[in-house]
Amino acid sequence: MRALDAILRPTAGGARLGPAVVAVVLGGGGYGAVMGSFGGLAGDRGLQIVFSAVKVPLLLLLTTGLALPSFFVLNTVLGLRRDWPTALRAVLGAQGAVAIVLAALAPYTAVWYASSGNYHRATTVNGGMFLIAAVAAQWVLRQYYAPLVAADRRHRAVMRGWLILYAFVAIQLGWVLRPFIGDPALPPTFFRAGAWGNAYVVVADIVWKAFGGTVTWSR
Amino acid sequence: MQAFRELDRVLRGEARFGDLGVVIPLGPLLRVNVLLAATYGVCMGVYGLLWPDGPEWRQMVAGAVKVPALFLLTLLVTFPSLYVFNTLLGPRLQLGVFLRLGVTALSVLTAVLSAFGPITAFFSVTTANYAFVVLLNVAVFALAGVFGLGCLRNLLVELARPRAADEDFVVLEPAKSGRKFGVIYAWMFVFALVGGQMSWLLRPFIGSPDLPFAWLRPRDGSFFEGVLHAAKLLLGAG
Repeated sequence: MRALDAILRPTAGGARLGPAVVAVVLGGGGYGAVMGSFGGLAGDRGLQIVFSAVKVPLLLLLTTGLALPSFFVLNTVLGLRRDWPTALRAVLGAQGAVAIVLAALAPYTAVWYASSGNYHRATTVNGGMFLIAAVAAQWVLRQYYAPLVAADRRHRAVMRGWLILYAFVAIQLGWVLRPFIGDPALPPTFFRAGAWGNAYVVVADIVWKAFGGTVTWSR
Repeated sequence: MQAFRELDRVLRGEARFGDLGVVIPLGPLLRVNVLLAATYGVCMGVYGLLWPDGPEWRQMVAGAVKVPALFLLTLLVTFPSLYVFNTLLGPRLQLGVFLRLGVTALSVLTAVLSAFGPITAFFSVTTANYAFVVLLNVAVFALAGVFGLGCLRNLLVELARPRAADEDFVVLEPAKSGRKFGVIYAWMFVFALVGGQMSWLLRPFIGSPDLPFAWLRPRDGSFFEGVLHAAKLLLGAG
């Protein structure tokens, strides 16, 4: 617990790989379980809880894994390699922070689920929770990065690069890993049938249709 | 492993021409360049795995061959004129120095490219929209190109640095060097142009799901028309 607590205190040592992964698995898993409980516990609905408890940590870990190689090379090419251990600790700490904040917000989601059965509103509430966690984690990341930026201003550009890259991958991965909440009208599944597609193309499609366009970009 | 150590040194900006004892080894760097470019080629070809008519493995093989070929052929096409104009107009660098400049910048380019490989592969696997994948790849290539050119610029600045006679590795007149590197800066632009068109000649790298697999497509159009077409398709105007 002390190691998990340290993740949120960047100035006092900060995160290590082990505790950060534990935080992602436990915190992300905890929030995922609550997130997947929208359909209740009856019958096979419990499966959705298990799936979502696996998928939230998977979302955080896979996004980090996909974006880390480019982050490493960008750090190296910009001549910031000597600070790599600190930079790595910073992004891992931010992952841990997302998960811990999500876990701390899970009770609110549970109360919302108990109060409203509207699936679309549940989606919005969960989106809001992820937004709060993302903003909090970004704040933690900035704290981790403060000494690095003070030493070399180029670290700020790399940190922003990381945030852009991370968001770009995470949005698409979140889309592919649907459903997280689980529409009660549909049976629980790990991957939604036909869910694979491109989040950005879908958003562009929706915006286009909203302005009266008729073209769809399924392909 | 030695090749990767050399690459690491280049990426960290430690391989400098003027420093005594630091020599940029061409062979190992070239090998690692080919390997990294091939890796990205495989990541591009991953898109072929989700074709409607079943997975097309040959697209990954084609990518692994074509991406290294793209860089080497572009270098081959632009190098003679660069060298000749360099000799005519300055900065009159020697052939060996030139080759090392090119391969060092290419190392940075392919390293950045291959580092984005996992992201490209992930989007290729999960995206059906061909135009999106094309533009994503163009963006990754452009980003890698910017870093490659940035490295080349740093090396040139290093070359132009006035140095003591005993550490003189390249014969250069420092006072005139800034202006005379104009030839190399012009070459960077030509390299990007030729590289773009070479990628069009060697297409398909990704493989349109609407067309059957082919190692090469017939002669038609240009890279810039292709990118414009993809952008139009994505914006619904194609």
